[in-house]
Formats: sequence, structure tokens, C-alpha cells
Amino acid sequence: MTDGGRILLGHGSGGRLYRDLVRDVFVRAFANPVLERLDDAAALATHGRIAFTTDAHVVQPLRFAGGDIGRLAVAGTVNDLATAAARPLALAAAFVIEEGFPLDELRAVCASMAATAREVPIPIVTGDTKVVERGACDGLFITTTGVGEIVVQHDVTPAAVRAGDVVILSGSVGDHAVAVIAARGDFNFTAAVESDCAPLWDVVAAAVGAAGVLGLPEAVRFLRDPTRGGLTTVLAELAESAGLGVEVEEEEIPVSPAVRSVCDLLGYDPLTLANEGKMVLVVAAEAADAVLAAVRATEHGRDARRIGVVTAAHPGRVALRTALGTRRVLDMPVGELLPRIC
Amino acid sequence: MCLALPMQILAIDAGVATIAAEGLEQRASLTLVPEARVGDHVLVHAGYAISVLSDDEATETLALLAELAAAAEEEADAGAGPA
Amino acid sequence: MQAPVPPSLLRRLAAELAAEARPGLTFMEVCGTHTMAIARAGLRELLPPGLRLVSGPGCPVCVTAMADLDRVIALARMSEITLITFGDLVRVPASRSSLAAERAAGADVRVVYSPHDAVEIAAAEPAREVVFAGVGFETTAPTVAAALMEARQRGLVNFSVLSLHKTMPRPLRALLDLGETPISGFILPGHVSVITGSDCYEFLAREYGVGGVVAGFESHDVLLALLMLVRQREPAIEIEYTRAVRREGNIVAQRLLEHVFEPCAADWRGLGVIAGSGLRLRPEFAGADAAVRFPVEPGPPLEPAGCRCGEVLRGVIDPSDCALFGRRCTPQDPVGACMVSSEGACAARFRYRRLDD
Repeated sequence: MTDGGRILLGHGSGGRLYRDLVRDVFVRAFANPVLERLDDAAALATHGRIAFTTDAHVVQPLRFAGGDIGRLAVAGTVNDLATAAARPLALAAAFVIEEGFPLDELRAVCASMAATAREVPIPIVTGDTKVVERGACDGLFITTTGVGEIVVQHDVTPAAVRAGDVVILSGSVGDHAVAVIAARGDFNFTAAVESDCAPLWDVVAAAVGAAGVLGLPEAVRFLRDPTRGGLTTVLAELAESAGLGVEVEEEEIPVSPAVRSVCDLLGYDPLTLANEGKMVLVVAAEAADAVLAAVRATEHGRDARRIGVVTAAHPGRVALRTALGTRRVLDMPVGELLPRIC
Repeated sequence: MCLALPMQILAIDAGVATIAAEGLEQRASLTLVPEARVGDHVLVHAGYAISVLSDDEATETLALLAELAAAAEEEADAGAGPA
Repeated sequence: MQAPVPPSLLRRLAAELAAEARPGLTFMEVCGTHTMAIARAGLRELLPPGLRLVSGPGCPVCVTAMADLDRVIALARMSEITLITFGDLVRVPASRSSLAAERAAGADVRVVYSPHDAVEIAAAEPAREVVFAGVGFETTAPTVAAALMEARQRGLVNFSVLSLHKTMPRPLRALLDLGETPISGFILPGHVSVITGSDCYEFLAREYGVGGVVAGFESHDVLLALLMLVRQREPAIEIEYTRAVRREGNIVAQRLLEHVFEPCAADWRGLGVIAGSGLRLRPEFAGADAAVRFPVEPGPPLEPAGCRCGEVLRGVIDPSDCALFGRRCTPQDPVGACMVSSEGACAARFRYRRLDD
């Protein structure tokens, strides 16, 4: 295959062009023995419970400060597995590509996927490619499906959460959403913000490990990454599902100054903005200090903070304590994100 | 109504200022504040600067705040000491 | 610039307020951004029990009459028109539709942060008729005027404005004339006053014996303004937001407003038609006036049944007094503008409600 060039409808038709594309772009980037067999399904060995998840990625623009659709696709699925306390085992990636899409860009996306996957590490063992006519999709859609091995005996779920549990947030919020908004260029600003897009298995592994060392293997009760809908949505859904209250301290929730400036400018609430490299951990109080310390020792959890507690008061509701000491309810955001002048 | 952000003018080019708040850079029209200069802090609403912000030192607001802060300190001092 | 005021000082301010405020005071704020700022900071919790804070008609989206919203929808439906709006208008329910619904049905509706961006769109797409839906008070109207002048200077004949702009002092007079709620004083809009100055509110003190303080939007600004109101021995108009507001306002912006707009009657949701409270484009700008170039007749407006936005906007009822509030009418499923607008009193009350609400 020549460098440069574009995706043609023929690349999706299953014949020689297709085989060449798979070998030259996907296998070359994702390089692993399972994938290189090019079987229609990958055989994996596992023991114990598995976690299984899938995600479609349709971000525009495809590239933004701190990441691209490829990194998003791998990190997103790894993080979904991580929220089940599942060690990532393998990924599948299905590509829907628009006719005319530049091959160079496709290679760059695959390089990004491969690099992100190596960070975990997780192999991309199988996949699929379809090409659609010009205009039928927005450049590139990627669906990733992931399989992982659950490393705890209990179910990490809202039902496991108890009053008194501590809520830990692995770092600052709002970075990904602002980076994408800046990259779209609709609002003509530049901000010192990069997407936080990252795979977080290191954070969860550290948390689970710390709990185990303490002899409290079930101390990690609930894990969720605050993607669309932001921190507010994760907390609100937790409160509702667990039938308990959650109380968080506004001052403890890290927001970078640049994100705050953009939110002040456009009228957004950083707590409702999407993140792609953050984790909310709800941990039994006895294990909270140890888990926090362990998470802060990881690359992606350096800025982790204790942000609040689970409480028997106001079940189903999330309360935010302001710097003033006043409290108000946090609701899930409604509808699309729109800038305001009022 | 109305969201407006205080930002500082970094540069001016033909009536359009490059303005900055922490970590954020943007452009805004100075049509409504032609007297604004590089280094001024301005209030920006919907892409237009609407006011040049004055230095706080001279304002009554800070004086009031200072008066209250002093009263708070006095109270704290009065309250300190053996129970 | 100004350093943030520490919480301890804010609580001190609140304590001072509690000490000095006599019971039975009702203050009204008339700026949606104040409504929001107060709700977000939970400031009501810090106020002494005898001090009531009500919201007035300060949310420009909330006070836009249904008939005017219907005109915007009608324009969006015209295939040659690119309807450009601030984000604030997109989800507001008109009689039969919303801009969000029209966009889903294929209308060319675009959101901008600045009216200048609308001018750039007109320049980039000369085949499209670009109509900018201008809502907002005196803070925003000058930016729209500036954009219109820029379009004119650049010879962009495909740019026009539908002016739904309204001005502040008159509805305050109308409110006081209605006399439904005894108002002890006003927290006056901070950014509108950047443009208008504070002298335009003198009539409140002189003719109605009601004082007012122009306040900024930080917690300390609002608390200080309340303290200043409480301390007024006789009704007066003062400025707390001295770092941004001058008594004479922004003369350049005022002149630009006079150059492009003229006062007209405007229909305020909840208050009815108020003479001289709206802004329309002057006749010499007819070529850029969407009301002239694209006259529309959307049919009779439909007010949703049970909606009491009008009474909320006049400060007569609290949002929670409306039977629809929190039940049929929520931010998720809004019936009236007071709930859908992010600054509406109902939205602010609902989204930032206290735990015991």
C-alpha cells in the first residue's frame, strides 16, 4: 500500500484491498500474536468471573488537545472494565469509516490506540472494518468491546454502598469537555486545557490492592467514571440506586483554573462536564486513608481527593456543601450543553 | 442576565483585544470601551468588553469589608483567653 | 484583581446583616444572574429569618412573550433563513415548538456565544439569510448594536436582527405600580447598570420611597448590597459594584444604543405591555431589521395551562407555590420559561433547592 491516499469503498468489501488494509494499518499498529492469526474470533483463557462491556465513540473533532478518538476508544472501554474491578484482558475494535477518509489519519488513530493500549497493557485482539459512502458517517466511528477478569469476590455496585462510606475522586473535573469544546472552535477561545483521557486500571488496581492488604477485600464498594453528565450524574445515580444520601464538599472538588475560566465565560457548571480519565471510588471508611494513599501513588490518580461521604440522611439526594457552609441539592444536568450569556 | 467575566487585555489590534483570564485566552471587541489600554482589566460579555474595571483599592466596598474584617478580629481577640 | 473574600468574612457579613436587619423586610432582585448566584451559593440559608428575598422579572428569556417566541420559531422554519441565537433560547417552549425541536426537524438553527460570530457566519455564507434573535437587556443590546454596525460596514446585506431586547427601569415602575408585593428595596442589576449607570433608578427613591443598591455577583457583593440596603436611613440609590459600575454608566454604549435602537412598547410575560420598555431598530436600519424584512404571522399564542410564570416574575408567588413546580414542570420537562431558562426563578429554585425542600 502506498503512503497517503484515502479509504475507498473497496476497502470495506472483504477482498484483497480489505486484507491489505487490515494487515497494513490495524495489525501493524496493534501487533500481537492473537490478532496476527486474523481469526474471526479471538480465543482467550480466563478463570473466575469476567466483565464484558462495549462503547461506541463518535467524538467530533477526532483530535483535540490531550487525545483523539483512538485514545478515547481504548481508555473508555478499559475504564468501563475498571469500574467492575476487572483487570482488562482484551479489546475488540470495530471501525466504521467514511469513504475518502485519509489513510494517514487512520494510521495516526491506530497508533494512538496502540499506545494507549500498551499503557494498560491490553491487546487489541480482533476487530472489524466497514466503509460507508461519503456523508453516511462523520469521518470515523469506533466501537470497542472489552473483556476483563474481575479481581474481587464481591459485586462492586451501589447495593454494596453503606452510610459512612467515603467518596474519593481521582482528580480534576471538566478537562475533557473543555478541551473538546475548545477544539471544535465554535467559541473562539484557547485554553490551557488538555483532555484527561486515560486508562485508569492503575487507579482501580491500586485501590483494590490497598483494601486487600488491609484485610478488607470488600472495602471498595462502588466505582464509576464520570463521563457524559459529569460528576453530578454519577453521584445522583449512586444516591438513587443505593437509596442513600451523598454529601460532597465543593472546596474539595478539584477544578483547574483554566476550566473554571471557560465555565465562567460560557456559563457551564464544571461538575456536569464530561471526563475521560477520572474515577469516583466509594470506599469503606476504615480503608479510605489507605486507598487514597495508594491511588495518589499512581500516575492517573496523583490528584485524588476525598470529596465527601455517603450518609443515611436525605436518601436518594446529593448535597453539595459550599465554601460558605451552606448546602444545596445537586441534580443531574438536563439536555444538551449550551453556552449562556445570561 | 448577564454573564460577564473579568479579563486582562494582553494586546490590541484594530479595536480587537486579545484578552486573558486564568488559563484562558480569547478575543473581544473594544467597540464599547475604546479607552481601554493594554494591561487594563475589562468585563467581557458576549465577546465584547463592556467596562474597564477600576482598581479596588479606592472603593467604598473594600472599606466596608475592611471595617467588618476588623470587627471580626476584635471579636475573635475578645473571645480568646482562658475559659 | 480582586482577591476572593474568605468564607469567614462572608459569614461575618451575614451576621452583621442579621444583627441590623429589622424583621419584615422584603428585598427584590431583578437580575436572573443574581437569582442564580444567590441560589448557587445557598445565600438564603445565611439570611436572617425576617428578611425575605424575592426574584423579579430579571430573566430576559423568561419575560419574552409567547407571541415573540412564536415569531422566532416561524423565522427558523423559513428555509432560506439561518436562525442564530444565544444558547439561552434554544430549549424555551414556544406555543407549539422550540428552537431545539425545529433544529431536530431540519431547521438551520445555530448557537453562538457572541453576536459578532453571527456576523462572521453571514460573511462566510452569503447565500443564507442570517437572522440573529436578539434577547437580553441593556448589557446585551449594545453588543448586538455593535454587531449590526459591523455587518453594515462590511456590506453584509444578508445579516439582520430580530430585536426582542427590553430595558430595565420601566418594569420596576410597573411592578411598584401594581403594588402586589411590598418591596423594601431592590438589589439592582450589576451588568445592566454597567451600561445604564445608576442615575436611571433615582425615581425609585424619589417617587416611590424605595431604595436600591447596584450589586455585583459574588457572594460578598450580594451580602454587602443587602447590608447597604438595610443601613439606608432614607431610600437612596447606591452602588456596591463600584469596580465595574459608574453613576453615568458606559456613555459609548448608550450612544450606540441610541444610534441603532429606539424605545418601543414591549410585551413582558407576566407584566403585559409596558410602554417604552423595548428596543426596536430605527427606520434607517430597516434593511437589517428582520421584523421588516421577514414579517411573520405565527397565529395566536398558547399559554400552557396552569403555568404561573407571570406571577413568579412579579414576585407575587414563590416558585413552589405553583402547582406545576417540581411535578409537571421540571428542568427535565419544563412547561414555562421560568423553568427552562437557566436563570429563571423556578429553575434556580429547583436546581439549587435546599435539602429540606
